[in-house]
Amino acid sequence: METDFSDPACPEYEALLEDYLDGELGGADAKKTGAHLESCAGCRRAFDDAAASVRLLRVAGSLLDSAPAPSPAFARMVMSRIRNEEERAAVGAGLWQPFVSLAWRFAATATLALAVLLTYAVAGFRRPPAEIAVLNPAEMQDIFSPDPTRAPADRDEVLMMVGESGHASH
Amino acid sequence: MAQSGTEAAFEELVRRHQQRVFALVSGLLRRQEDVEDVAQQVFLKVYLSLRKFDQRAAFSTWLYRITVNECWDYLRKKKVRPLVYESDLSLEQISKLDAFASSGRPPEAPNQRAETKQILERMLEKLPEQDRQLLVLKEVEGFSVQELANILHLNVNTVKVRLFRARGRIMESYRRRLGSSGAGVGVERKV
Repeated sequence: METDFSDPACPEYEALLEDYLDGELGGADAKKTGAHLESCAGCRRAFDDAAASVRLLRVAGSLLDSAPAPSPAFARMVMSRIRNEEERAAVGAGLWQPFVSLAWRFAATATLALAVLLTYAVAGFRRPPAEIAVLNPAEMQDIFSPDPTRAPADRDEVLMMVGESGHASH
Repeated sequence: MAQSGTEAAFEELVRRHQQRVFALVSGLLRRQEDVEDVAQQVFLKVYLSLRKFDQRAAFSTWLYRITVNECWDYLRKKKVRPLVYESDLSLEQISKLDAFASSGRPPEAPNQRAETKQILERMLEKLPEQDRQLLVLKEVEGFSVQELANILHLNVNTVKVRLFRARGRIMESYRRRLGSSGAGVGVERKV
């Protein structure tokens, strides 16, 4: 028999076909699905495969290891484990309690210190910046140096300019 | 009563739900020997989380969700890998399986049962994990579609569609093996 995989099942019928397989479909839905199966090769093939899988898995169900049964003492073992867990938690909490308290105190102190520092930093940031006198380079001009943009007016100024340039070179 | 922590009440809860938890764990894991240990872990977690149970869903739904999460944690921790077989199923093995599946009756002789069981296990191992879990939980462990939807946090229609497609995939794989042998398809399509 040729296997035709070219026609998949109609997506809108897949859930209905699963119910139809399980015998869970009744009334109008069952009629509609049955009629559709007669007219749609893809759905018919998919449904036949699904029915075959039920037979296959039925054989599997009878052979495969289904879940082991809980031992008669299982529930008591669970309760015993719960009690052990609770005891362990209580002992653990007791041993570590002093360290935990100390750690919390350190954390509180550190948080307070950080808050103080931040407050100080923010307050400092908001203070207007101090006025810093910015000297205009023009004002720094040596009173004895003639204005370099102006031509020397007399011999004295020439001599002073020569003297200035001599200073600069040294 | 259980939420106030009385041990007797919780022990009764364990007894009422233990079989179902075992079935779910067994269906999800591939190692039967770890089922009891994981099941114990589930109930321990349930006890410690009782205060968080808000009673909006049924207790069983909440219990099964914890079970699924514990199984997934277990699989992740154990880094469980798909079982690797030395060789694929032989054509003879597939044909034998086909004969039993066609009749719908498992073999009776113990050696045939053992062999058929092995063939089925290997065939299921080849499925994608989600397909395998859905099919095993539904067809082998007997969970209903509604239960699977609750457990796996899925819409009921989504579970139905996934089941239907998983059935198609297992048969496609099965027929491919049969078809390549030139043998007839034993699990015939019935129109």
